[in-house]
Amino acid sequence: MAGSGRHGFIGTCLITGASHGLGAALACELAARGHRVLATARRAPTELPGEIAGFDYMQADLAQVDEVAALADWALAESGGRLDLALLNAGLGFYRPLQAETAADIARVLQVNLDACVHLAHALHPALSGGALGLVGSVAHKGAAGMPVYAASKGALDGFGRALAEEWRGEVRVRVLHPGPVATGMSERAGRPRGAIDRFFLSPRAVAAALLDALSAPRGADRQVISYLRVGRRGLWRGLVPGRR
Amino acid sequence: MRVLLSGGASGLGAALLHACMARGDQVTVIDAVPDPQGAPEGPAGGLAWLCHDLGAADPVAWAQLETALVDRGPFDLVVLNAGISATGRFEHIPLADHRQVSRVNLRAPLQLAMVLQHRKALAPGARLVFVASLSCFTGYPGAASYAASKDGLAAFARSLRRPLRQAGVVVQLLCPGPMDTPHAARHAPKRAGRERRMPPERVAKLVLRASPRRFLLLPGTGAHLAALLGRIAPRTMTRIMGRVLFDKLKQQGR
Repeated sequence: MAGSGRHGFIGTCLITGASHGLGAALACELAARGHRVLATARRAPTELPGEIAGFDYMQADLAQVDEVAALADWALAESGGRLDLALLNAGLGFYRPLQAETAADIARVLQVNLDACVHLAHALHPALSGGALGLVGSVAHKGAAGMPVYAASKGALDGFGRALAEEWRGEVRVRVLHPGPVATGMSERAGRPRGAIDRFFLSPRAVAAALLDALSAPRGADRQVISYLRVGRRGLWRGLVPGRR
Repeated sequence: MRVLLSGGASGLGAALLHACMARGDQVTVIDAVPDPQGAPEGPAGGLAWLCHDLGAADPVAWAQLETALVDRGPFDLVVLNAGISATGRFEHIPLADHRQVSRVNLRAPLQLAMVLQHRKALAPGARLVFVASLSCFTGYPGAASYAASKDGLAAFARSLRRPLRQAGVVVQLLCPGPMDTPHAARHAPKRAGRERRMPPERVAKLVLRASPRRFLLLPGTGAHLAALLGRIAPRTMTRIMGRVLFDKLKQQGR
């Protein structure tokens, strides 16, 4: 990763949703780039995959407001009140039409995908001064007929990040990064049947690397899509320049 | 025509209520205010005022609301308009206020839309209008949770557009700019001129007369222009909003 110090965020990073898929790939990529990783997810520490087991870890369910508050306290204590990056990646969604939704699931999706991010940004603000806040959205943020509640939550995250990036400009770098389809198994867990198109999903590792590049670049838009073009361009560049991470 | 409005006590909701009552519609209002001041007179049964706190998750209260909506429906026009805001520096606004904005502006309309679909309370050919904001095109530094809720609502409306069309329901997204309402007076920077804000009665007229073929409803030339610039140069528009609104809010210690 180019750069070091607070704005290159070589230092302490918090990542949510770190036990699986893109979150696990992001945590590993951050560690490979020399950062100290504070990881969190819903899973118990004993159920973590091997590559995450070595990180400082707190089990927290972001659907529970008190656990979000406890997570913020833990991150502040572990980082000594100085976080270089908070990467809010945890997400939840259901692939189903509105008539199949329930009030409890609407509340849960909005709590995990939006309200927990608002809560953590609010609580961690003093520690992030000079650092960066990354919000992991989705290309569904513009609307998705198959998952309207998830799309609403990610659209909201996009609007939140857009406003906050302007408010915190010059103090905390805020970026909303919208990955395209990633082969994490999330869409099957969300209820979408597997199909031939799944073969074209992006690898979590490649998306994680492209996403961290976008987040650490000193220049760039506040809201970026990390999909085929971006990931492919990075892969091509690495192929042309041997030895480049 | 049977009309359902969320938030009818003031601003755009009150303007819609008066316009609908004046043309003889049967109107149902959901509002946290229990006793409407100055609610328009109409024929017996013309207005039903359902007092309900949209920010609350109480399942009993929601079940009662659901029953009342079934009794009063099916609706030909639904305008999900209720909204609150929280303005100032994001980190200075209490977390509880951000949470309440999210509940009232986003969770509640999602849940209401779900209830209306579950209970078949939308008449064939009905219009379902989500009231978002021009901030969906410009961004809104100084009201981060409000901006989030309105962008979320816009994404939700876009997601529902096609599936509900197949069910014979028209989904529309209203993105008004600043209106001359008590809500705007509370949240705009002090000394911001009222004269450039649009009267809510004009916006209400646009909603009631809108063609069902249009998805996006933008009231006024200024809103069209801001939306166009927001599409062409989103970063620049957000910067301008930062200068015009957020810097003033900061100077005023909010």
